[in-house]
Amino acid sequence: MAAVGSTVGATVASFRATRVVELRELRVAGGLMLGAAAVRPLVGSPGLPCPLRTLTGIPCPFCGMTTSVTSTVWFDVRDAFAANPMGIVFVVFAVLLLLRRRWERVTVPVVIVPIAMAGMWVFELRRFDIL
Amino acid sequence: MTDAAGGAGAARADFATRLVAFVVDYVVLGTVSLVAILLFNDGLGFLIALLAPPAYYTWFEGSPSGQTPGKRLLGIRVVDAATGRSIGHGHALVRSVMRIVSAMLCWVGYLWMLWDPERQTWHDKVAGSVVVPATLTPPPSPGPPEPAPDPNFER
Repeated sequence: MAAVGSTVGATVASFRATRVVELRELRVAGGLMLGAAAVRPLVGSPGLPCPLRTLTGIPCPFCGMTTSVTSTVWFDVRDAFAANPMGIVFVVFAVLLLLRRRWERVTVPVVIVPIAMAGMWVFELRRFDIL
Repeated sequence: MTDAAGGAGAARADFATRLVAFVVDYVVLGTVSLVAILLFNDGLGFLIALLAPPAYYTWFEGSPSGQTPGKRLLGIRVVDAATGRSIGHGHALVRSVMRIVSAMLCWVGYLWMLWDPERQTWHDKVAGSVVVPATLTPPPSPGPPEPAPDPNFER
């Protein structure tokens, strides 16, 4: 009984856990992402292939992100949403980071990562008619 | 050495530096693979191209310096997270194989370092390594040369 209680307690604690994320490197990565997305249609790059989908046919949660981010940067929000809605969020966040240079860090609930990835994966599995 | 390698807040190579080092190594490996495919018949050339990346990373990152040519150019190195020393070729092999997993979900394992407090990718976590600036944790220099044997000394 005590073991079950401690397991439940640990699980609840993990859901409440937060992580402080330094924004400096995210700002750099975001800037690179926006730059690549801006240039991509001009050079005709096909984007990064997903190894999982290439090998197994099963998409991963981040499939469609290249298309989504590129479409968002080029203001084609409908195409962006259809490819992967999270791309729109990434672009908005990246733009905010570039505009708000004084933001140094942000505290994020750790649980948001698995929830977001699960949602993205369900979306992609439905997009490729697997679910 | 241990403080520089381990513990929250210790210096870590940043994303942009690791990305450029990766690109440099990618160019080197791409060149080697292309030459192999052009020089040899299809089978051997593709085998070399397939084995070159794990061999390359295992050899260089497992060396005492922990530096591939790309990492050496950018002034960063791979060290054991606990000791700050070289990870050795065994862990370097594990690390290089785990790169495949890091790349599997659209390269998320590589991007994980942006979220991770130790700036570790997935292959870093499995191998127990971190990537640090070489200026703060310099690679070991070769030791002083052995003194010449004394010709008058009788064993």
